[in-house]
Amino acid sequence: MSTYELPLVLFTVLGQLSIGLVCIAALCRAAAPAGVPQSLFREWSVAGVVLGAGIVASIFHLGHPGGMVRTLANLETAWLSREALTLGIFAALLVTGLFLMRQDKESRALVAATCVAGLAVIFSMGMTYSPPSFPAVNNILPFVFFMITAALLGSGAAAAFTPEHARPLVLRILDTSLIIGLVIYLAVPCIWLSGGEIMKQTGQLWLSSPLFWGRIGIGLALPLVVLWTMKKVPVWLWGLILAGELMGRALFFAGTVHTATNMGGLY
Amino acid sequence: MTQWNQDNIKTAIDCPMTRRRFMKWLTAAGAAAMLPCGFLRSGQAMAAGTVYEGGYDTFRNACPRNCYDTCGMVTHVKDGVAKFVEGAPESTFTNGGLCVKGHSYIRRLYSPDRIKYPMVQQGRGTGNWKRISWDEALTRISEKFIEINEKDGSMLGLALTKYSGNFGITNYGVEGMFSSLGYTTRMVGTPCWPAGIDAQNYDMGNMWCNDPEDMVNARYIILWGVNPAWCSVHTMKYIYEAKRRGAKILCIDPVLTQTAAKADEYWQVRTSEDGALALGMARHILDKGLVDQDWVNQNAVGFAEFADYLNSEVTLEWAAEKSGVPAERIARVAEEFAGNNPATIWIGYGMQRHVNGGASVRAIDALVAMTGNVGKVGGGARYGHLMTWGFNYHAMVQQPPKGVKGYLGPAAKGEFDFTKDQEGPSYSNRTLNINKTARELLNASDPPVRALWVSCKNPLSQDFDRNQLIKAFNKMEMVVVVDQFFNQTVEQADIVLPVTTLFEEWTVNVGYWHYWISLNEQSVKPLYESKSNLEIAAALSKKMNQLKPGSCTFPTEIDTREWLEKEFNSGVYGLFGLNSWQDLKKGMHKAGKHLTAWADGKFGTPSGKYEFKSDLCAEHGFNALPKYVDSRKPYDKLRVLTPHTQFGLHSQFVNLDWMEDFNPKPYVYIHPDTAKARGIADGDTVVVKNKTGSVTIEASLTDNVPTDAILMYEAWFRNNDYNCQNLVDDTSADMGAYKAGAPGVAIHDQFADVTKA
Amino acid sequence: MAKQFGFLVDSDRCVGCFTCAMACKNQYHQEKGVVWRQVYPLTQEIYPHRERAFYSLACNQCEHPACLEVCPVSAYYKREADGIVVHEQDKCIGCGNCIRSCPFGAPKYNPTLKKAEKCSFCWQRIDAGLTPMCVLSCPVDAIAVIDTTEPDAPGLLRDVPGFPRQPSLNPSVRFRLPKQPVVIRREDI
Repeated sequence: MSTYELPLVLFTVLGQLSIGLVCIAALCRAAAPAGVPQSLFREWSVAGVVLGAGIVASIFHLGHPGGMVRTLANLETAWLSREALTLGIFAALLVTGLFLMRQDKESRALVAATCVAGLAVIFSMGMTYSPPSFPAVNNILPFVFFMITAALLGSGAAAAFTPEHARPLVLRILDTSLIIGLVIYLAVPCIWLSGGEIMKQTGQLWLSSPLFWGRIGIGLALPLVVLWTMKKVPVWLWGLILAGELMGRALFFAGTVHTATNMGGLY
Repeated sequence: MTQWNQDNIKTAIDCPMTRRRFMKWLTAAGAAAMLPCGFLRSGQAMAAGTVYEGGYDTFRNACPRNCYDTCGMVTHVKDGVAKFVEGAPESTFTNGGLCVKGHSYIRRLYSPDRIKYPMVQQGRGTGNWKRISWDEALTRISEKFIEINEKDGSMLGLALTKYSGNFGITNYGVEGMFSSLGYTTRMVGTPCWPAGIDAQNYDMGNMWCNDPEDMVNARYIILWGVNPAWCSVHTMKYIYEAKRRGAKILCIDPVLTQTAAKADEYWQVRTSEDGALALGMARHILDKGLVDQDWVNQNAVGFAEFADYLNSEVTLEWAAEKSGVPAERIARVAEEFAGNNPATIWIGYGMQRHVNGGASVRAIDALVAMTGNVGKVGGGARYGHLMTWGFNYHAMVQQPPKGVKGYLGPAAKGEFDFTKDQEGPSYSNRTLNINKTARELLNASDPPVRALWVSCKNPLSQDFDRNQLIKAFNKMEMVVVVDQFFNQTVEQADIVLPVTTLFEEWTVNVGYWHYWISLNEQSVKPLYESKSNLEIAAALSKKMNQLKPGSCTFPTEIDTREWLEKEFNSGVYGLFGLNSWQDLKKGMHKAGKHLTAWADGKFGTPSGKYEFKSDLCAEHGFNALPKYVDSRKPYDKLRVLTPHTQFGLHSQFVNLDWMEDFNPKPYVYIHPDTAKARGIADGDTVVVKNKTGSVTIEASLTDNVPTDAILMYEAWFRNNDYNCQNLVDDTSADMGAYKAGAPGVAIHDQFADVTKA
Repeated sequence: MAKQFGFLVDSDRCVGCFTCAMACKNQYHQEKGVVWRQVYPLTQEIYPHRERAFYSLACNQCEHPACLEVCPVSAYYKREADGIVVHEQDKCIGCGNCIRSCPFGAPKYNPTLKKAEKCSFCWQRIDAGLTPMCVLSCPVDAIAVIDTTEPDAPGLLRDVPGFPRQPSLNPSVRFRLPKQPVVIRREDI
């Protein structure tokens, strides 16, 4: 892809942040010791606002935003339609959950359903962005990338709201996600280098891009060092991770090579 | 393309808009499409754009550019708007197809870049153009012409440069218009093909080639310095067919062209050593006893002398050394060529654009003749022909006003000047060598050239020694250019007049390669305020006579359709099997004779035979025999080749935005070794410089060119000041003056060096 | 499906003249920069002489088209009778998913309309009994309409260097590879 597709970058990162926050907040509460009453309202409200921002961003991606509602027309085969559907379900559940929480009528089933819907959104996104035209990501990788984003940003954000008891869990999720992210993001482009022509070009493009090293340094390595030394998540650290994810996503859309760019050359 | 873009075109016709307004409107439409309510008007409003709808009015047009193929086209029109073109289906030559240029014509017609009105430029080269009315433009021009006449007592201070930008027969009305004004100064000659024309005239008495469609019968084809894959795409299918039937295709060229890539064998010949190569083959054929002695005895004179020359001064090894082609290959192909009858050689125009170009063509002619391949179906030394051009040239043949004075002395005539020499009066036009336009305009005196009229030509892109040419233009008191786009010549004009495209005028076209004739109908009404060359002539005549009665004999009111009719005669009708020119509305016709050149063995030479030894040629100052002539001594490190691109015809077509989608910018092609020695990498910006001028351009590395040459395609890009004529001086080719009025020009005998910018 | 139309790309005959590509613009007047048929030069790893062998490619009318599969608004359909993949531009919302997803780069973005568009195989011409404009225009018969439900003619290839292999999409395109001339280079340099 030759352009940065900023709306898509914002939409996918913010959407995954929202889903990550919803799920990790729910996980924290599920793991909370009995008798510690708490509400997900603050976390989910933030997630809701972020999701809203992401959806607004996605509108700018369409040539004809008025046609947005029609994106559900091809559930039969188009993962983009499924993404729209699951996203709609996730958003509806989230809003419903918030509404219930406002009335102190929480439903565990609803929370669980929202999390499942969120994961379904990420899965649909993963499928949408792994078409055959991008051999490097015509696989499970986009889903993995997006899950890492959700885990990183979700746990980073959750850390801000986490009660004392849940902090080790959140830190562990963040810590683990950073390590997994670092390993995957360093390994994947190197593996691409030994692939076919387009994979190789993608690997070369990623490895030579400042965006890639920005995401590795600012978004993964530095946060890991900070986390290990400070044992907590200051807000600016979360900001670093978000910046890294935005860079990484921009690279995902701009630096992944399309087969058609090499027409007439060896594949 | 959308509905509203279609509407654009309609609007452009009904109500001409300026480009700025057009763009503003487009932007507004785009902004509207961005609004979310775009959804609401989806469906109906955004329905199909320009697609095939059926129910078109069809008109016949003919591509009038200077091209081998001169294609007939069928223009599909709906509601007065030309929608698309197809190649004429009934022509076996065109076979329904055109070329990349032909298929861009719709854009040319409706291009927002077109010159729409007469305009005047405040200061040449400033771009400060102001729209004026036709009346004002013609008044200014006429007043100048009258002033010249009053100052000099003749119209010789008025010069015309016109060549092949539009070969529609009625466009010779430009010359007619000039004749109607009196005796004027004319740029005569052609940069194109004159050395070869003269060579063939010395050898055979005319330039005459077989029908290209008969090439399928050849058992051996040598494509010598010709690139039909780009410059005559429709001939390629006959070459393929010959190949399928078992013929061998050999391509000889300094450059590994697209045609070379499609041949069985390609020889990278040392540029301008084609004569040596041909003579080497001739010597080997002689040695091996493969001369068609019967044909030579019956049809030729001077062969014994030619054989003597070969025996005494030509060897295979010498030819190999001169041409760079291994002796073993030359020998083998010579035998194959002589042993496979009919065999033919297609002689390209590029290979005669040298100081020894005419001599080289004569050597190749001799090779074809000595193997008995002249006058045979599937054989021949093919170069070109003018056998189908027997029109009346009514538009061209006009009488000067009574009592006007002119140039005392003989005038040269171009190869397309079919007028008969006038009896009696001693006055004539002053003729200047078109290939030395810059120096001739600067040097002409008594009277000097004061005003220049440019039509069907883009001298600043096509003529030589561009820096000098700018000086020559600067010397002019007035420059009038008739054109369709603001090209580099228009940039140097005072007044520009908008001329019609092929779709907007009546005319008729024939080719100099194939044997077809095509009508060119007016398929749409002229856009904006454009006029055909004939209409411009009539309008100018009207104004001249208004200001000074009797100063111009050209009719002041003409019907271009009637004038088209005036070009036909019984000879044309007979040749093409027509009852009336109206028959051509149904499709193209092909000549019924002349299809095999010299089949009857009656040559047009003084002896009536093929002349290996031409006394006429010797009289004209050249060798009587087709002897080897040295090539031009290099004056810089690398040879500069400036041949044709497939995306343009000379300076035309390359400027169209549609064409830019496929050919966005110019390159200089350099051999990787040559580039490496100069630290140049693929894609680098480089400067090509020689004694004439310089060009700054992007490098493309390829071993399609030899290490001792670089290549640039001639072209005019609308957003790029690229001009390969900065590097080409006006050194003459050897021959050309006999039949074309002036010697050719050694376009490919140029040298330069290249450095990283 | 009765037939499956596709293109024969005869690179042995193709001279890279771009006539087909321009003939398409001649018929459809695409915006500047929007090209439905492109003529791709083969790199020197595939053909040793630079820009001397080509594939002229447009939409390959896949058996399982990625564009059709991924379009969220079902703006694509495949014609039953001849397998032509049609893009209904009035339905398109310009999401770019088809453009991203087609491995052959057939759908293009029209920046003015803010919609996708692609080679239609000239279905309107086909329905009128005519040949697609590109095929009609080719001066050397290097592209042709073929029906891939019929056995391939001898010498035709499905997978060739210079063209991305996509068996799951099964593009309806067949190739003939270019040949090389015997090249005799100058001895004096």
